[in-house]
Amino acid sequence: MYGKGIKRTGIARIAFLLVFPLLLTGCWNNRDLTEINIVAGLGLDRTEDGKVLLTVQVVEPAAIQSTSSGKGKGGGAQPKPVFIESYEGETVFDAVRGMLSIVDKRLFLSTAQVLILGERLSQDGIEEVLDFFQRNHEIDYSMTVLVAKGVTPKEILEMETDIDSIPAVYIRGSAENTVSRGTVKRILLIDLIKDMGGSGRQPAIGQISKAGEKKVITEGTAVFRDGKLAGWLDLYETRGYLFAIDKVKSAVVNVPADEGKIAMEIIRSKGKVKVAFENGEPSMLTVKVETEANVGGYEGKGALDSPDNLYFLEKTLEEEIKKEISTALEKTQKEYSSDIFGFGAYVHKYHPQYWKNAKKDWNDIFSKLPADIQVDAKIMRTGIVKSPVKKDE
Amino acid sequence: MEKARISSTQLFLLLSGFLFGSTVILAPAQGAKNDAWLAILLGGTGGALLMGIYAAIASLNPSKTLVDILKEKMGKVIGNMFAVLYIWYFIHLASLVFRNFGEFICTVTFPETPMVVVIGLFAVILVYAINSGIEVIGRLSELLVPVIPLVVLIISLSLITVHDFTAFLPILENGMTPVLNAAFSFITFPFGETVAFLMLFPHLNKKEKLKKVVFVSAAVSTLLGIILFFRDIFVLGSDLMARSTFIPHLTSLLIPGLNVEPLVDINLLIGGGVKISVCIYAAAKALSQIAGIGYYRKLTGAISTFCVVLSIWVYENVLEMFNWAEKVWLYYSIPFQIVVPLLLLLLSLRKKSKPSNARTES
Repeated sequence: MYGKGIKRTGIARIAFLLVFPLLLTGCWNNRDLTEINIVAGLGLDRTEDGKVLLTVQVVEPAAIQSTSSGKGKGGGAQPKPVFIESYEGETVFDAVRGMLSIVDKRLFLSTAQVLILGERLSQDGIEEVLDFFQRNHEIDYSMTVLVAKGVTPKEILEMETDIDSIPAVYIRGSAENTVSRGTVKRILLIDLIKDMGGSGRQPAIGQISKAGEKKVITEGTAVFRDGKLAGWLDLYETRGYLFAIDKVKSAVVNVPADEGKIAMEIIRSKGKVKVAFENGEPSMLTVKVETEANVGGYEGKGALDSPDNLYFLEKTLEEEIKKEISTALEKTQKEYSSDIFGFGAYVHKYHPQYWKNAKKDWNDIFSKLPADIQVDAKIMRTGIVKSPVKKDE
Repeated sequence: MEKARISSTQLFLLLSGFLFGSTVILAPAQGAKNDAWLAILLGGTGGALLMGIYAAIASLNPSKTLVDILKEKMGKVIGNMFAVLYIWYFIHLASLVFRNFGEFICTVTFPETPMVVVIGLFAVILVYAINSGIEVIGRLSELLVPVIPLVVLIISLSLITVHDFTAFLPILENGMTPVLNAAFSFITFPFGETVAFLMLFPHLNKKEKLKKVVFVSAAVSTLLGIILFFRDIFVLGSDLMARSTFIPHLTSLLIPGLNVEPLVDINLLIGGGVKISVCIYAAAKALSQIAGIGYYRKLTGAISTFCVVLSIWVYENVLEMFNWAEKVWLYYSIPFQIVVPLLLLLLSLRKKSKPSNARTES
């Protein structure tokens, strides 16, 4: 009896040990770095006959190394660090897989840094094509989404730049540094997906366009209405919009001074949008911004030696920010009638009964409401010096 | 009858792991959308009461398993019939958890691996754990279950910067009905499923602590459920939350610059593992008692294999699984989780109040 027990556990042990080699194989669909095409950037557009045109920018890791070590030698036929391919498909996924007929290795999408949407696609509607990007398990939800203005995504991805060896990384970096300028709406895929959910905020996506042969520029915002491109905001309107929705981290706002301008550096800002109600009906859109700034450059005549100077500057700064917000708000109301500020989300949260009926027509209701914009600016410090150099009168 | 003993801490951790189990991916109170936290709170209260009933049954019938109690209170024939039904219920439950696990892994982690491989390998490990005895499962839970709240904490804290703290508003947008429905389904899944623990309660070394253990674990898992809900809705918003297949997984994808999604897999492995082992253990133990086989370990292999097969066969696709978990499971569970236990409680109380009768009867 005992011996039999030992025999049985012995067999069990061997069987158990035999299971382990299975684990050594790793993932079922394991692929080495050399067996995949590392995608850095994605571009999506529609062709004239309604197909999806997918463009990928694929990194060649080996080439990147050789370019960095080969620097200084000058000239010579160096391999390009990236290659760009496009493919037309009926659907996005169709294009992703179809691409395999022109490239050698499978596309690995998790590393994609940017997704650039074309203008035509945006006018047609982006909701449908973005479904793949929510559903696929390989997609990184935190990639930056941009809309190309006046240029196709393919042209942007094809651009060769000197700034970074991988253009997609350069584009992403440029969009990311909006934290210190506030002139482009940087939106991540996940935020876009959340905004498309119809919770009372229309999506708005950062704008990218070409600034030359080897440069792009990320300034401005594409305004969407029900998933379709409605229009654009320029960089100052974008900043006003970002002030209102509390997305300005830092920025430089110029205010007029005697014979010149003063550059105010925004160091902290808080924005809040609300809707005032009267008798169960919305009566007023309110935007409240509280901001702190430093004097960053005084390029004009005058002096900064008493608090009163700063109080006066605060007033002019408030006016300036208010102007930016109100042009942005007016444009979205009158021209695009799209509530990108998220007033609807506020109504949904705090006046659910009213929202139930108004949900469908909210963009129209929003367009007709008057707005009350309050900006409270505080200027804290003046930097290393107080007054600018005195000019002789 | 083996003399295995588990401590009250181990039972607490087993219960918590069991309650957390597949709840981590299925989010049973989701039907209430923005008000799911209310449903979780109500469901948790109801669930604690239900678990209190199970604990009362166990303490009125010390050292007796569910099968013993059924046989004693309902007579041998009817008792055995009910016991067989319970065995089916435990097996079914185990295979549903297997399937949840398999679907999850095949959707998010290993999309090209056949599900039977995923489930099968998991089953092999669990059979090993179950055959090692309930004491080993208890000690394992001591080691592993504390990882669950730790993971929840890690993911929640990593996401603190992307929170929108008003996302759960408005409150009661669609009235009370969906909340009550969701609360009820939250009682049956996961709280009512702890009826399987009636096979385990006799192993507790300190009987007087049973009720406390049960209530504390119900409270802890309700709290964990609420924390999870708030984290998910703050991060995802109600629309995306309603659309996503596996909510906590999607949440974990959003941590900037850090890939923590395997942590959710780990949570599911631990919670689901505890749940399946308890169910299979309960089924094997019950079957061995009915059939008069002294040694339940002979049955675990067969039962687990059956569970694996059933788990593959039971649903056609992933949406059928969700539909079943949300709509059918709660009605299917009512007799097992509420009707029979209540009946047993009444019978136990009656016999307790008339001890002389009970003695003459037996």
